[in-house]
Amino acid sequence: MFRPYRRTVQVAFFALMFAIPVLNMYENYTITGTYYALQVGGLEAADPAAILQAVFASGEFALPILSALLFPLLLALILGRVWCGWMCPYHLLSDGAFRLRTLFRAKLLGRHETEILAVPSPLKANFCRYAFLLGGTAAAGVIGIPVLNFVSAPGILSTEAMILVRQHALSIEFGFIATIILLELLFFPRFWCRLFCPTGACLSLIRAPFTLRILSNAKNPKARCCKEDACSAACPMGLAPYREGPDLLCTNCARCIDACSDGEGSKLLGFKGFFLS
Amino acid sequence: MTRLGLTFLENRLRPPGAVEEERFMALCIRCNRCLEVCPYGSIRRAGWGLTLGTPFVLPDSKACYLCMACTGLCPTGALDNELTDPDAVRMGRAKIDPDICYSHLFFDMDVVPEDAGDRIGALCNTCYNVCPLPNQAITLKNNLLPIVLEGCVGCGICVERCPTRPRRAINVLPAGMGKTDETGFHFRKARKHYEEVSVQGETDPKEALKGTDLLERKQKIDASAPATDFDFPYELGDETED
Repeated sequence: MFRPYRRTVQVAFFALMFAIPVLNMYENYTITGTYYALQVGGLEAADPAAILQAVFASGEFALPILSALLFPLLLALILGRVWCGWMCPYHLLSDGAFRLRTLFRAKLLGRHETEILAVPSPLKANFCRYAFLLGGTAAAGVIGIPVLNFVSAPGILSTEAMILVRQHALSIEFGFIATIILLELLFFPRFWCRLFCPTGACLSLIRAPFTLRILSNAKNPKARCCKEDACSAACPMGLAPYREGPDLLCTNCARCIDACSDGEGSKLLGFKGFFLS
Repeated sequence: MTRLGLTFLENRLRPPGAVEEERFMALCIRCNRCLEVCPYGSIRRAGWGLTLGTPFVLPDSKACYLCMACTGLCPTGALDNELTDPDAVRMGRAKIDPDICYSHLFFDMDVVPEDAGDRIGALCNTCYNVCPLPNQAITLKNNLLPIVLEGCVGCGICVERCPTRPRRAINVLPAGMGKTDETGFHFRKARKHYEEVSVQGETDPKEALKGTDLLERKQKIDASAPATDFDFPYELGDETED
C-alpha cells in the first residue's frame, strides 16, 4: 500500500510550509523561501512555472535562477510528476475536498457511483492546461509581470502560511485558494490540478523513457484487464491507468496500484522506471 | 515591455540591491524569501494591484537596517546577489523638507516668531544622529543644519526616527522615481518646445546637447572667468543718463 507513505509525505510538506517561517523567526536559515522558490542548505529549487514566467517577462536567459531548475527537473525526470501527487500542499487540500464531496454525495444524495470529472477526456484536459500555461506565459512576456504566479496554488498557500506565522494574518490571495477549493467541493472536483495548474503542466513535460510510470502487466495492455475497473475509479486525474499510465496527467500517486486487485493478492499494475524494469 | 505597475511613492522602497523597477517587476517571482529572512521585519509584502506579493520597505514604520541578509538570497536576481556592501546600496535618496524640519526652522528663525504656532524650531539633528553612514550620507552644515549628501543609500532610518508629525520632515524618494522621462507634463512640454525651437533655428536637434551633456556644459559655465567678447555694434556715450 502506497497510501500511508503518500499521506505522510504530503502532510510533511504541508507542515514544512509552517516550519520554514518558524525556523526563520528563530534565525535559523537552513531552509528559506516558499514553494515558489526554496533554498535548502544552499541548494536551490524553484517552481519551473515561476522561472518560465520570470524568463519571459524579463527577456533574460542567463539568469542565476536557471540553476534553481536543476533539482526540480531532475526529480521530475526520474520520478515523474510526483510533486503534484505526493508533495503539493494544494493537492492535499484538493484530496480533502474530494473526500468531503464523496461523503456528502453518499450520505445526503445517496449517490455512490464514481463521479465523472469535468472535461473527462485526458487529451482535452491536457490541451486545456497547456493552453492556460501558454497564454499565461505569453501574457507575462507582453506585460512584463509574471502573472501566472498570482494563480500558483502551492506558492500562494506557502506564502499564506508564512504570513500567518509571521504576521498572524492572511492576504487577499487566500481568497483565490478558498474560491478554487469551494469550486472543487461544490461543482468541479479536481478541476484545478487537472485543467489549469501551471506548475503541474510544466512538471509533466519533463519526461524520458526511463521516467517512473504506471504500467500494466496484462497481456493486452490496451484492453481492460478486470471487470471492476477499480483503477480508473481511483484515479484523481480521470485516467484509465491500465492503458494511460504514461499520460502527461499522471502524477504517480499510486492510488491505482493500491486499488488494483486480481483477487489473488498480486497486482497487474505497477511502477516501471529508472530503478525498476 | 510596458510600464504596468510602475508606481513610485515616497517612503515606499524596494529592498536593498533591487534592480531597476521595470526589471524588478519582471524578475520578482514573489517568493517572499527576502521578507522571510529580514531579521527586523522591515520588508513588507504589497497587498493589492499588480505589485501584489512583491517586497517593499516602508521606512515610516520600519526602515531597512542594511544587514544585507536578503540580497544574496534572491533566487531570480531581482535583488543583486553580489551586493554585500551597505555603502553601495541605492534604495533611494532622503529629502529634507525645510518647512517642517525642526533644525531648519531653528536656523531660519533664530527667535521663534509669535505666528509660528506649533512649528517649533529646535536643535534636533535626529536624522544625523541615527544615520548609519554619517558624513557620507548626511552632514551638519555649520554643525547645525542637516544636509543630505550624494552618499545617501535611502535606508530610511532617519525617516523612521524623525520626530515631526503627522508628516516627517525627512522622506526617502525611491530610486527610479525621479527618472526624467517620467517626470511628466512640464518636462515633456519643455522638451517639445526645445525641439521646435531647434528645428526653426540652425541647431540640428540630433546634434544639440541634451540631458547630462547639456547639464555638464551648463555646469562648466564659470562666472569668474573673463567675459566673452561679443559683437556690439553700437557706440557708447561717455555719459549715462539716470
